[in-house]
Parts: sequence; structure tokens; C-alpha cells
Amino acid sequence: MQNQPEPKNSSTPIIIILVALVAVGALAWYFYSSSRTEPVAKTAATPAANGNRTTTTPAPAGTSAQPVNAPSGAPLGVNMTGSPTATVTLEEFADYQCGACAIAHPVMRDIKGIYGDRIKFVFRNFPLPMHNNAYNAAVAVEAAGFQGKYWAMQDQIFTNQAAWAAPGADFARLIAEYAAKIGLDPAKFQNDMDGRPAKDRIDADLARGKGLGVSSTPTLYVNGQMVPYQELRVDSLRRIIDGELAAASGATNTAK
Amino acid sequence: MTAGSDNDQMTKMGTAASFVALIGLADAVYLTVSHYTSARVPCSIIEGCEKVLTSPYAEFAGIPLAALGAAAYFAAFSLAILAAFGNRTMWKLFGIHTTLMFLFTGWLIYLQAVVIGAFCQFCLISAATTAILFLLFIVSRLIARK
Repeated sequence: MQNQPEPKNSSTPIIIILVALVAVGALAWYFYSSSRTEPVAKTAATPAANGNRTTTTPAPAGTSAQPVNAPSGAPLGVNMTGSPTATVTLEEFADYQCGACAIAHPVMRDIKGIYGDRIKFVFRNFPLPMHNNAYNAAVAVEAAGFQGKYWAMQDQIFTNQAAWAAPGADFARLIAEYAAKIGLDPAKFQNDMDGRPAKDRIDADLARGKGLGVSSTPTLYVNGQMVPYQELRVDSLRRIIDGELAAASGATNTAK
Repeated sequence: MTAGSDNDQMTKMGTAASFVALIGLADAVYLTVSHYTSARVPCSIIEGCEKVLTSPYAEFAGIPLAALGAAAYFAAFSLAILAAFGNRTMWKLFGIHTTLMFLFTGWLIYLQAVVIGAFCQFCLISAATTAILFLLFIVSRLIARK
């Protein structure tokens, strides 16, 4: 092989590069679809359990029972909707700065709308240490709770997550904006943000979550059974809750 | 050293570099996809990739660093292929390109170690492939100089 300043075949490298480009596209699609189909496939074949009259608790595969000796968390009140005497209890542990929790938020809102007083829904704070403003966001919601605007503030915090959790965002100013939007008394709100009671509620929830072994957010318990993350969809939750409601009414019927 | 064996050397180095760049490219594509789908993953107490990939440093001007990395690896791959087929200028460009990538990787390692305080294994694979690309170019220069 002597001096060879010019390439042997100038089109070959271009072809290789184009093939690589197509391969990259295929690879990206493969990664994307494998990250997406997994949860869907798991719940696709599950039938709606409408006529479920069994008296035993239908525990969906993969759920795990709550330990009984965990701390009770913040006293129930503003963080609860539905009926306190409902036979089905949903307890959600969430972090306001967690993207997956923001995605689960409208699902929970739909579920609360569908079932109303037939369920008892409890929200628990579980701010993760790696999210710099998750704890403060929880404080804001609890502080709004002292003015009866707990859920309105939670809506603001979750729907505007991308804004206040963005790098370099002016957290305090944005929170004050949301507070004004839902009609909070700014002085009282600031006072409650600074005070201990809101933080005590969060710390109590955190202690309960840790006691239960919550290790990621969102984590949802239905009647003490942990619901796998993949099932945090309206259709899956309806199936689980309908099963629990049917089981409870079945138990009442046999007791009569 | 004759121009012919110099070309031979460049063909070997270019081929090796294109394979290494492909590994880096696959890794960066994976990271880009998980950057956009990470919201589907629950947030975990255990720190690691979730923390690094969702940190404010994971994006530059709204573009995920992983996507920039994928583009950089694709450019490195293209330049290496063109060099392997005898284009000397492309090999020089490859050298400049990988040097910049190498410096940028150093900054990312610093961010993970000191600022974020967590390492992500897929980001470390990318750091390793960039270092290999840079070394391949340095070695080729050293051999050419002899």
C-alpha cells in the first residue's frame, strides 16, 4: 500500500454513518417503548371486579400489608376527604417535588370525585431529602390548611410543580402568588409557614411513612394494602376499590 | 514513517474510535430516553441515577445533557469513520472534538462528586468512553510523531 491520500470509496463512510443514524433511532424507540409498555401490559388483562361478592379481602398480586405498629401520623382533619366512617380507606404518601406524584395527582382527584363519601382519602406528606423544596412545599400546603384551603393549595403546588421546582426559581415569590390566587390571608399564611404546627404535621406523617416502610413516592395504601406503582391509574384503582367495597358490603350482609 | 503506514495507523485508530463512540452513543441515547420518561418512575429514597438525571445540572438551556452527549458521540462516530476511510482532516477534527468532550466530562464528574453528591453508573460509562476516545487520539498523535 503506497501513498493513498484519497479514500478508496468516498460513499462507504457516508453509508455507514447513515446506517448508524437509523440504528440510533431504532435504539431510542426500543428504550422508549420498553419503558412504557411494562406498566400497561401488567394491568391490561385485569377484568373489572364488579360482581365480586367474596367476603375475603381481595388482595391484588404484588400488594403488601401495612405493619400495624407504625406511628399514626398527623391527626386526621384537613388532610382527609370523603367519609371518616367509609369502609375503604386510601392513604397516599407523596412528595410535592416528585414528578411521579404530580402525575398521580389528577388520578387521585378523579378517584375522589368518583367515590365521594364511599371512601376515606388521607394524604400523607413524604418529602424526600434529595428534593430541595419538597419539604417547604409541604409546609405551604399545611399552612394553607389552617385557612381551610389545603386541597386548593395542593392543586396549585402539584399543577405548578414545573415552575417552582425549576432550577433558579424564586420559590418564596411563587408560593406567595399561589396563596394569593386561592385567597389566603397573606400575613397569617406567612406566619403559619414560619411556625411549628405545620412542620409538626409533616414530621408526624414522615414518621408514619418510615414506620410503614415507605421507600418511594407516590405510595398508596388501600385498606392497608400497598398498591403497586403500576396500578396507580384510574381503571386499576377502580377495580381495587370496587373489590374492597364489595367485600365490605358482603361482610355486612353476612353479619345481618 | 511513510504516509502509507500512517494511513494504516489512522484506519485502525479510526475504526477503534468509531466502535467506542458507538458504545457511548448507545449509553447517551439510553440516558436521553430515561431523562424524558423518568417522570414515570416513582421517586425513591435511594439516591442514584434518579437524583443525577433530575438534578438542575441535567439540562443545559432546556436541552438534556444526555441528548447533547448523544449528538457529541454521533459527531465523534462520524468523524472517526471518515478518518478510518483515510480523511486526515476529519481525524484532526475528531481530536479537537474529543478533547472538548473530555474536558466537559471532567466538569460533569466534578458536579456528580462535589455538587450533587451522587454518581449515576450510566453517566460514568459515558465518562469512560469519552476518556478512551481521547486516549485513542493522543496515542495516535504519539505514534505519528515517532
